Amino acid sequence: MSRRVRAWVLVLGGLGFAALFAAACAGLPHFGGDLHPYGDRAVRAALLRHTANAVASVNFDQRAFDTLGEESILFGAVLGTVVLLRQTRDENRRPPAPAPVAAPVRRYARLALPVTLLIGLYIVAHGQLSPGGGFQGGVVVATALHLLYIAVDYRALERIRPVGLYEVGDAAGEAAYLLVGTGALVAGAAFLANVLPYGTFNTLSSGGTVPVLNAAIGVEVACGVVVLLARFLDQAVEIEDPPADAPEGAAK
Amino acid sequence: MSVARLLPLIVAVPMFGAALLVGAGRRLPRHAAEVLGCVFSGGAAALALGALAATSGAAPRPAEWVGGWRPRHGAGVGIVLVGDPVGLGLAALVSVLVLASLAYAWRYFDEPPPRHAGSYPGLVLLFQAGMCGFALTGDLFNAFVFFELMGVVAYALTGYRVEEARPVQGALIFALVNSLGGYAALLGIGLLYARTGELGLAQIGARLDAHPGGPDPLLVAAFTLVAAGLLVKAAAVPFHFWLADAHAVAPTPVCMLLSGVMVELGLYGTARVYWTVFAGPGGIPGAAVHRALLVLGVLTALLGAVMCWLQRHLKRLLAYSTVAHTGVFLVGLATLGPRGTGGVVLYVLGHAGVKAALFACTGVLLDRYGSVDEHQLHGRARELPWVGGLFAVGGLALAGLPPFGTALGKAVVEEAAGGWATALCVAVSAATGGAVLRAAARVFLGLGARHPADAPAPGEEGGEETTGKDEEPETRGGLLSRIPDTMQVVPAVLLAGALAVGLLPGLRAAAGRAAAAFTDHRGYTASVLHGVPAPPAAGEPPDWSAAGILWGLLATALAVALALAAVRRPVPREAARWTVPLRRLHSGHAGDYVAWFLAGVTVLAALVL
Repeated sequence: MSRRVRAWVLVLGGLGFAALFAAACAGLPHFGGDLHPYGDRAVRAALLRHTANAVASVNFDQRAFDTLGEESILFGAVLGTVVLLRQTRDENRRPPAPAPVAAPVRRYARLALPVTLLIGLYIVAHGQLSPGGGFQGGVVVATALHLLYIAVDYRALERIRPVGLYEVGDAAGEAAYLLVGTGALVAGAAFLANVLPYGTFNTLSSGGTVPVLNAAIGVEVACGVVVLLARFLDQAVEIEDPPADAPEGAAK
Repeated sequence: MSVARLLPLIVAVPMFGAALLVGAGRRLPRHAAEVLGCVFSGGAAALALGALAATSGAAPRPAEWVGGWRPRHGAGVGIVLVGDPVGLGLAALVSVLVLASLAYAWRYFDEPPPRHAGSYPGLVLLFQAGMCGFALTGDLFNAFVFFELMGVVAYALTGYRVEEARPVQGALIFALVNSLGGYAALLGIGLLYARTGELGLAQIGARLDAHPGGPDPLLVAAFTLVAAGLLVKAAAVPFHFWLADAHAVAPTPVCMLLSGVMVELGLYGTARVYWTVFAGPGGIPGAAVHRALLVLGVLTALLGAVMCWLQRHLKRLLAYSTVAHTGVFLVGLATLGPRGTGGVVLYVLGHAGVKAALFACTGVLLDRYGSVDEHQLHGRARELPWVGGLFAVGGLALAGLPPFGTALGKAVVEEAAGGWATALCVAVSAATGGAVLRAAARVFLGLGARHPADAPAPGEEGGEETTGKDEEPETRGGLLSRIPDTMQVVPAVLLAGALAVGLLPGLRAAAGRAAAAFTDHRGYTASVLHGVPAPPAAGEPPDWSAAGILWGLLATALAVALALAAVRRPVPREAARWTVPLRRLHSGHAGDYVAWFLAGVTVLAALVL
């Protein structure tokens, strides 16, 4: 299509879409209303299961099957990235050279690393009690490790980041979620049923399977994000493009 | 343990297999990874087929509330998996096809990433889990989650051969257009949630039915957006552009899955959402939905058939034939009745076998000769009579030769949709089957004249026509000198399956029951929310008719005649002038596809209004 035709199709289509959506929004319930059928039911169900964070109860108990799907999306995305960003036959690997780091940056990152790591673990561990959980905390943990790249250099990061181990952790998190679900089935309940004792409300051990599934997600997300970033960093730092003068498709 | 209890395992088993393959991937020899992949996909297939067999005569919809969150008085917070025959049947079809695809890739497939032998089978297993979950879920948001899962994995599988630029480009387009569809679907789900406070299909439907009346703009927008998202997956015009670009570059075993069943899942989703949510008194009037699906279906069928005939790149040819058949499926679903739906069920089953077999044969050509170009391969595959025979039989089955399942499904759709639909079906079958037969005659028999120029004519390579020359083989160690047995047996088995769909009377009766249960709006709500085993009214099962057989034979004869006429004529140096605008339309430009997506949503809304 020529630019002109494309622009016309885009403008007309966009206007139609906008009109449709605007008309639909006019039919939405008013802001600040007090009718929340699902919210009311979900909070009631969360309290019955002694889970203080109703969102965690929705994620890991009431709609735990959604979370299984979402976890698998991340798992699949990481696996897909490993496949797509692999070192191809015509690419070379070059060990990165150490780079000088400004002293203030180094001091800041050294200070921030343990604090960030601790906060990440806290967010994972308290997912069933307060806002946060495995998804959020896992990302914080993975980010904390990468402060080492900023503080020192890529080789230091590689030393604490054996990617193979994190790949195993990624898979173990995914498998653990499935095993907890199947365990409930073996125990005679439905798949992913909350079969553990609910515990005392608002304590770390409350919520039955919620903290267990939450921890599985935490492991999967932390390890998955580390692997994901490792692939991108490898591609950016270590892997070299094939030499420009090589004939195209020399790897055939 | 009841059948319902086991439904989540159909999703969980392949997921667990993927986790195992990734976890052990570094220590796993290639052979073990492939065996594990087949074991887990086969396990899910056995579960799905077993559940299907166990429920065939009994209450038609085993429903399982995951986590035991069964609703009280029709109100609940949980997710339900529904093993109705269409959903379970699709899960079974997905699993069997994944098994066939893994068997086809057995040992021949090019090295996976070093030290990651489990990556490829792992991705395929996740793809299987996503598709099975999508087929089984009775929850709209959960369906979106699985829609995204199959999307994410499919993008990675499409771009698998990163050494070249084209797979990356094709996967990017695929991801872009499908993500747009995903956003639209999510917007629509949000609108429905805002209106009803529910996410389950049955619950949303029940809430809407509590306020009968004409649809207001919110409901029209919600239906349009959700349907548009799903129709992107289904590759309906004008959302179809990604399909040929992705199929041309995806590894052959992945094409078998994309064309064989993923595209059809988009149609399944559209019909499922309509029947469970919008088919009641508080939904969208049937006439409007009929109009929308019919218009898109006819457009899709015609455009797909024409584009299919124009291709010389065999994978693109097969991809456009999938688009054309999607159109016919849509015409069948647009009848909004159990009869047409039953026809589509049979057609989809037959089409999956035939299309996957055709892709499998094309893969053999690619790996033997490093080309999928109809003209470049002229006469070169004379040495492969078995593959050639299978390819030709696939072409005949695609054209609707009785007693293949494709012919049966097509005949039932024709009957249900009325006289003009017969003409459409015959035309589509003749064009798509004819294109495949034409390619078979050129490639495997060396009939007709060669292409006038081996070197592309000026303006050809740069512009409108995509040739299939100089493709990278997908096998280890370059071009194959001997075709592995698995690559020859799998297409034969798939074609035999398509034949069985047409021949087994039990399958016809089951398809009739499945379609009746699928199109029963009230029965679905009653059995999912209230556990009422609602046996649907027994209709006459779809069956062969004299007219259907005759039309099928006519379409096949037309296809053969078209193919012979095409190879007899000298090959023109340049593409015919009238095809240029059509080819320009399918530009491969992401911006074009985005523009068409927006225009498509607008058109769909206008049709529903």
